[in-house]
Amino acid sequence: MSTRDEAASRPRQPSKARATATWILLLILVGGAAWLSDARWGQITGIFTDGGRYFRLMTEGLLQNPFSDPWAGYWTRAFDAMIESVHMAWVGTVLGAVLSIPFGFLAARNISGAVTVQLTRGVLNLIRAVPELVFVIVLMLPIFGFGPVAGALALGVGAIGTLGKLTAEALEGVDPGPVEAAKASGSGRLAVLRWAYWTQVLPEVMAFWLYRFEINVRASAVLGIIGAGGIGQLLSQLFSKRAWDQIGITLLVIIIVTVIVDMVSGAIRHRIIGGGKAKKDRVRDDAVEVGL
Amino acid sequence: MSTVAPAVPEAPARPRKPAPSKGIIAAFVVAAIFTVWAARSIEFTLMPLFTNLDNGWEIIHQFLNPSWGFIFRVWDAWVETIAIAIIASFVGVVLGLVFSFMASTVTNRTRWSYRATKVFLSVVRSLPDVAYVLIFVALVSIGPLAGILALIVFNIGIAAKLTSETIDAVDTGPLEAADASGAGTIARARWAVLPQILPNYLSYCLYIFELNIRASVVIGIAGGGGIGQVINVQFSRFAYENVAAITVAIFVVVFVIDQVSQQLRRRFV
Repeated sequence: MSTRDEAASRPRQPSKARATATWILLLILVGGAAWLSDARWGQITGIFTDGGRYFRLMTEGLLQNPFSDPWAGYWTRAFDAMIESVHMAWVGTVLGAVLSIPFGFLAARNISGAVTVQLTRGVLNLIRAVPELVFVIVLMLPIFGFGPVAGALALGVGAIGTLGKLTAEALEGVDPGPVEAAKASGSGRLAVLRWAYWTQVLPEVMAFWLYRFEINVRASAVLGIIGAGGIGQLLSQLFSKRAWDQIGITLLVIIIVTVIVDMVSGAIRHRIIGGGKAKKDRVRDDAVEVGL
Repeated sequence: MSTVAPAVPEAPARPRKPAPSKGIIAAFVVAAIFTVWAARSIEFTLMPLFTNLDNGWEIIHQFLNPSWGFIFRVWDAWVETIAIAIIASFVGVVLGLVFSFMASTVTNRTRWSYRATKVFLSVVRSLPDVAYVLIFVALVSIGPLAGILALIVFNIGIAAKLTSETIDAVDTGPLEAADASGAGTIARARWAVLPQILPNYLSYCLYIFELNIRASVVIGIAGGGGIGQVINVQFSRFAYENVAAITVAIFVVVFVIDQVSQQLRRRFV
């Protein structure tokens, strides 16, 4: 039969028409954006003409003896500002974590009524859609004035959105066994929530808190440029003075402190979720999930 | 059968409550001390909420009366913001894909270049987006170009991290098949790995586009063009009613893009 011959022949390649069309559309989109963005593309050469020089100036700042006079002051100032940013991030995270707990319970479908869940989720989505910088400009600066307190509060309010949502999702995924056991032994509603639900999600939720802290350390630098103190404020002052040697020092301090914070917080997260013998593969994806 | 009930075996004594682990107590003490230290060093206080509410009230009052017309008067800035996000996401995720192949042992079999890529990416990720905007403003002067370049670098960091973790977890079957048929490094990355990670990768791309729209405020305030620049100008002129209108509009734009992209992402994964 001829069918056998056909089967033996190499299968035809599936049509690529759709992929090609998608690529063409995408390139038109990007090309249009490049045109509409009003960017002066000619200035891109600045990277090659000035980049090397600025980089050399920054390295020169780093290579000076950090204990000799002006340089010691630069290092201390950068570290102080970065520590202030970390403090701002921590206070913001603690506030956000505490405030997100009730939101998490109210937004969990297996705990609260349908109407409450919808309302709470709406509020959480609303918070998540507003960039932290907007919180600072709108809510905090008029009342708290310039400074890290305004920044910490903005980070706290901003954290409620993600943390509340993630807590609710964790609560929805609990094992129903302990809940039944608690109910069977006559626990009240609060006792069930405290001992059957909260105990089960606590490790996961604490890992979310730490992850949020890592994000907030970066975000607190951003808030600095609008006057909320910390490393961002120092950085924008230095850039307006074009003090490249000090910029080099400050950037290095940011990198060092951020990497240390990430490592410590990451190790604690792995320990909390993985238990004593942290299983790497189980934890590896948590950052991805949280990020999304 | 005896009527005498057998001696009821004594109910086992209630087990003693286990003592809380020392490690946990120590961790909480450390966390509490750090919280107090942090709060004191930034002079944390909620008092202004009560004392300064009147001061703030005037500004808040202006905020509550946004001048809606202003949103459309700065139409060009909106177009610019979206355009910046599109270019930066596109270039960032394409370069990010290359870096992510280099940052996974599955696809990069050269030990030293894998290590080097990992270190490079973690340095890239540890700087906040503002720092990149400030650097590129110094290099190519204020304007959308600085914003685009800064976001590209920022996006490479995120895209490479997310995607390389996905690559680490791919099914090894197709890889073996590719190796067995003699595929080179690029061929096995393209034909054995890319098809497996494509759905996740596309979803990360959309996520990065969302992030870029969100970041537009920051970018503009630091000098990278777009709607953030408008906010900065209006804010320094104390034109809070204009700032309020833009803020609400940004919120709506971010919300709509989030929703659309979440729908799309659900289809990919």
